Amino acid sequence: MLGYVSWRDVLKKLTLAVTMQRPVSSLPLSPGMKLKLVGAGFQSTADLILLKPLQLSKETGLSQQEALEVLQAVRKDGGGGEGSTSLTALELLQKEEETRSIITFSSQLDAALGGGLPVGKTTEICGAPGVGKTQLCLQLAVDVQVPQCFGGVGGQVIYIDTEGSFLLQRVIDVATAAVRHCSLLVEDDEQRAAMMTFTMETILSNIFLVRCHDYVELLAELHLLPDFLSDHPRTRLLVIDSVAFPFRRFDDLSQRTRLLQGLAQQLVAMATRHQVAVVITNQMTTRLQGNQSQLVPALGEGWGHAPTIRLLLQWAGSRRLASIFKSPGNVDATVQYRITSDGFRDADQSEQPQRKRPRTQTDQSASSQPDRRLLRCLSDV
Amino acid sequence: MATRILRRTGVSNEICERLKRREIESCKDLLSLTPVEVMNAAGLSYEKASVLLQSVSKAIAPPFTTLFWQALELWKQHSDSCFSTSLPALDKLLRGGLPRGTITEVTGPSGCGKTQMCLMLSVLATLPKSEGGLDSSVIYIDTESAFSAERLVEIARSRFPGYFSSKERVLQMAARVHLFRELTCQDVLNRLERLEEDIISTGAGLIILDSVASVVRKEFDTTLPGNLIHRSNLLSHEATTLKYLAHQFNIPVVLTNQITTHVGDQGSAVSAEVDSSFVTAALGNTWSHSVNTRLIVQYVDAHQRQILIAKSPVAPFAVLNYTIQKQGICIDGCVISHLLSMECYSGVRVHRAESSCCSVFPAHIHLLQKKRRDTLGWKQISSHSESGSL
Repeated sequence: MLGYVSWRDVLKKLTLAVTMQRPVSSLPLSPGMKLKLVGAGFQSTADLILLKPLQLSKETGLSQQEALEVLQAVRKDGGGGEGSTSLTALELLQKEEETRSIITFSSQLDAALGGGLPVGKTTEICGAPGVGKTQLCLQLAVDVQVPQCFGGVGGQVIYIDTEGSFLLQRVIDVATAAVRHCSLLVEDDEQRAAMMTFTMETILSNIFLVRCHDYVELLAELHLLPDFLSDHPRTRLLVIDSVAFPFRRFDDLSQRTRLLQGLAQQLVAMATRHQVAVVITNQMTTRLQGNQSQLVPALGEGWGHAPTIRLLLQWAGSRRLASIFKSPGNVDATVQYRITSDGFRDADQSEQPQRKRPRTQTDQSASSQPDRRLLRCLSDV
Repeated sequence: MATRILRRTGVSNEICERLKRREIESCKDLLSLTPVEVMNAAGLSYEKASVLLQSVSKAIAPPFTTLFWQALELWKQHSDSCFSTSLPALDKLLRGGLPRGTITEVTGPSGCGKTQMCLMLSVLATLPKSEGGLDSSVIYIDTESAFSAERLVEIARSRFPGYFSSKERVLQMAARVHLFRELTCQDVLNRLERLEEDIISTGAGLIILDSVASVVRKEFDTTLPGNLIHRSNLLSHEATTLKYLAHQFNIPVVLTNQITTHVGDQGSAVSAEVDSSFVTAALGNTWSHSVNTRLIVQYVDAHQRQILIAKSPVAPFAVLNYTIQKQGICIDGCVISHLLSMECYSGVRVHRAESSCCSVFPAHIHLLQKKRRDTLGWKQISSHSESGSL
């Protein structure tokens, strides 16, 4: 017996049921409950809309608690399930202009990337051994902490190291150089105050380091990261160096592909939801085509779809080149860089002077370009 | 950590039983599944499956530390992060020596001094801290039967005559070097799996594996299909185990490797005097990613040898001249140059490879290649090696 229900309610529910019908097997319930529902003859959520818990439990043999859970799942789905709110492109444009990019201290690379590495997107850095991937990651870990009045992002960083190539001494060198750069740029009181928060101690305390030894620890760490990011809202960078190493000795390639897809989805979700720039390092592998061998990024073709931006670091003779070969917002470009004792820098000092650089029409406050004063000083050093 | 049994992580017995029926017993099995598979296997709703994954992850994930605390810990313990090689020029370039907790590879042609370097490092590791050593035992895994105890004693006596003046000290030093002879790949792998116990029981502070390449190249013929993947898997397995041990015990690991000729692309336009092949370290590209520091030893001519720093997180490319004497390796004076371009390599011809594929090393790091075997000939060098080294 239905009991007294107003016709208006029934009409509303029926309308909803017609517009949003789902089969019972797709609900996020445990398999045992789904079996019982299907066994009692309920095929879609439309069948469940008008029921109350007691009646459901009598008909299907579920306990009262479980019946309540089923109806709540259905209601959540049918009632408030318009999905996530939609944004217009205009709102997104304003949001994008407000988020800053993470500079790399190589002005040519920053210019090619449109300001630096974007926050909220995933970037992949691949390259041959010894070309400078870890060096770039260390540089970014220090750069993300540069205070906002200098053109930086002023955030914390999580560094997941799977290869053991993270050396404390090197971070100290890079951080010392960065602090020296910024202290040369100090012009007003606001920046002087900001320099108090940008010292060696604070830089080291804002880097959270985790060492994972195999892929299981890496996956476990990624399950725990959303909570960590909610607890530390100032985090703006997540570095995984490298994601390829733990996955290279898999016998079952289909399992590897599945795990990597899951991992990629988690990273993209974290990047957008918590406004974090995710940087992943990849290795190169040899692909044999007939008699020729070619170096291609590891982890397969499918992995290439996961990151938004892909950078390739390679050798050309004795020069180091960085190429952007996948980027939705920038032209594919190649720049030269070098690794010095101070870290990741431009290759030579004879780059184009400031006035020839194309001016954009964004204003200083909502600019996604790094601060021009910082760029100018970098090109002078 | 990943092999921890689920029951011990606080998961309820009922769920453990259900998972056991699907053969999911350790944390590794559970975390390798997608959330939907976990729902099916454990019979839980989506939210409960997420909570289960979270709690299991918490049990095995390594903890976060900030670098500040790590730096403070290091400073408090006064522990060095490097193992000094007793070659001041090399130590200066490497900012202290071979970094602890990482893998260092010494690679080069045969007879160049790789085993000598390993023997010298073994002696150094047993010295007390006051003399610049690690004051610990050494685990030496030998796959080529190249280890010679007499040479070890000779190096010790010649290099540190003051310290090893008495016979007991020499015998004590020799007793601290634990030698394991492993002649097949599977033996090496088994030994590495059990190495943790050996490290704890002997109190080892240095692991030497001489050499990685010889067993692997003997057993895997990479022209056969499928062997390349097996070989890569084996090497990745070895690398992962060694890195884990190095990190957990904070000790340096030293490996030796061989060299191989990389044949360049036949079809590319190559000028007549430049050869299209070059020698690089063996074992492939994947292995090159796995080592943290790479030192290449090579011949310059019949008497001079060089050591190059080819890959290092802290050191730039650099070249040092050395010779092998009674007391092991001796570096002559100064660094030739920091290699930025080929012109710096004055007086020595370097053959540059013009291959169309993206090279693993920069061209100037490629080893010297003898165009014709009779100039400086391999024959001369091999006779030199028989007399001079082991």
